[in-house]
Amino acid sequence: MLLDTGYRAGPAATLRESLYRIRALASNNTLIRLRDPGQTISYVVMPMVLMLVLKPLYVRAVEGGTTKVVTGLLVMFSVFAISIAGNAILAERTWKTWDRLRVSRAPAAELLIGKTLPIYVVMVAQQTILLVYGCLVIGLPIPGNVPLVLGAILLWAFTLLAIGALLAAVVRSHGELSVITDVGALTLSSLGGALVPLSLMPEWAQVAAQASPGYWALQMLQAAVVGDTAGVLLPAAILLGIALVCGVFAIRRLTRGWGRGGLL
Amino acid sequence: MLQAIDLVKRYGPVLALDGFSLSVAAGEIVGLVGHNGAGKTTFVEIVSYLIRQDGGHVTIDGRPPSASRGRVGVAPQHIALYPSVTVREHLTLFGKLAGLRRAALDGAVEELTVALRMGAFIDRRTAGLSGGQQRRVQAATALINRPGLLLLDEPTAGADLETREAMLDVVKQRAGDGAAVVYTTHYLPELVELQATIAVARNGKIIARGTYDELVDGLPGEVRLIHDNEEEVRVSTTQPAATLIDLLGRAERPISTIEVHNPSLDDLYRSLAVSDAP
Repeated sequence: MLLDTGYRAGPAATLRESLYRIRALASNNTLIRLRDPGQTISYVVMPMVLMLVLKPLYVRAVEGGTTKVVTGLLVMFSVFAISIAGNAILAERTWKTWDRLRVSRAPAAELLIGKTLPIYVVMVAQQTILLVYGCLVIGLPIPGNVPLVLGAILLWAFTLLAIGALLAAVVRSHGELSVITDVGALTLSSLGGALVPLSLMPEWAQVAAQASPGYWALQMLQAAVVGDTAGVLLPAAILLGIALVCGVFAIRRLTRGWGRGGLL
Repeated sequence: MLQAIDLVKRYGPVLALDGFSLSVAAGEIVGLVGHNGAGKTTFVEIVSYLIRQDGGHVTIDGRPPSASRGRVGVAPQHIALYPSVTVREHLTLFGKLAGLRRAALDGAVEELTVALRMGAFIDRRTAGLSGGQQRRVQAATALINRPGLLLLDEPTAGADLETREAMLDVVKQRAGDGAAVVYTTHYLPELVELQATIAVARNGKIIARGTYDELVDGLPGEVRLIHDNEEEVRVSTTQPAATLIDLLGRAERPISTIEVHNPSLDDLYRSLAVSDAP
């Protein structure tokens, strides 16, 4: 006699079942994250140290140096955190567990939400911790419009998650992902003005900076911290566009699985 | 329960399935044998809805694979487990994904822990387990919700004796409870122990199907005698016992060694492979 799982069709029951499965997936992925926290810890601790060290330099070099050092390093190390998302998704391929999940009753959307939700929370937490640290230790003025800052963090984390998922869907190995995220993150965030204030960079670099998501994230966060809602809108729209393009591509790739064409 | 008719699957220029047809009734164990590349794993992946066929069709209890997710338990050929997650947490995850809750989930975990002899390592992370233990965990995640169709792709590959015994016991029990089982393997004696119907795959299609007795009937075995002067006599025969008696009656010199080799599944496979060779 086969087990009756209690599954019954119907909108309410379907939603309950769906949430139940997403919770199970998210719990599993949270466990995995908690048992291997090294990368996350380093991307929180390193910018904290650098903020302390670089603050005097920023303050002397540019106007609003405290804001720029906090938001700049926040953006730089949040870009590094793309590798957390990428590795977490790519690991499902290395472990060959993604196909096990695809065979389950959970549809692709649930698998993706369950997989990415804990990573998203980690990314949001990283940025929030750095911002709070910036206020409490570095001397960043406490933002007047907290919901605006929170919205900016949520959007930037979403963009990073989508980029990370895209990378995980297309790279062939953890080594390849590591090269792309490390080199790419350093290049894009530096170019975007996250390491050295834009005003101190060469003119060509200031123009090229606009090609970097890090530039728009910096503009958005700096505007949000000072409560400039209008200044948040354009960067937010651009980042949302980047997130949607990357996200759609990643979802298409991940829902089909890697199949036998993958090199892993 | 499972009906696959004329399946065709191409990977670029490679024709992995070429008119592959197989049906499995509820309560039946079908042992799917064949060399690497015969199409066994591709078939399992199509039924699991991991890949789509290019031709032919499959139904599971009358429904296509796309509508049968969660009703099929799959243990793939390769180990696919989370290294930092414990055995119990694996079973809980896959049980919940199958819709099991509270008492039903706890009961299913407990039952499989006992049946697959996993009690000693149920709370250990899978990274620290032996290959055989990992095989058992993998099978358990496929069995957790008692699916109506089980696809076990080489579930005992590289496994120790304990794993093999536990696995075969559970498979027999689940088939006895009404599950249809597709069991791919290279270990042909396992299929005899499971009393499975045997389907032989070659070049992307099933070339023979039947019980062990039906398939080996008429296949030649071999009688081998070695005389004390080390002269060897080998006779291929469909009746090894009668042939041995005949040879012993006619022997003129002392015999140091007698070997009687009844037709086996390996002989069956070789004979089918040769007769089907292009």
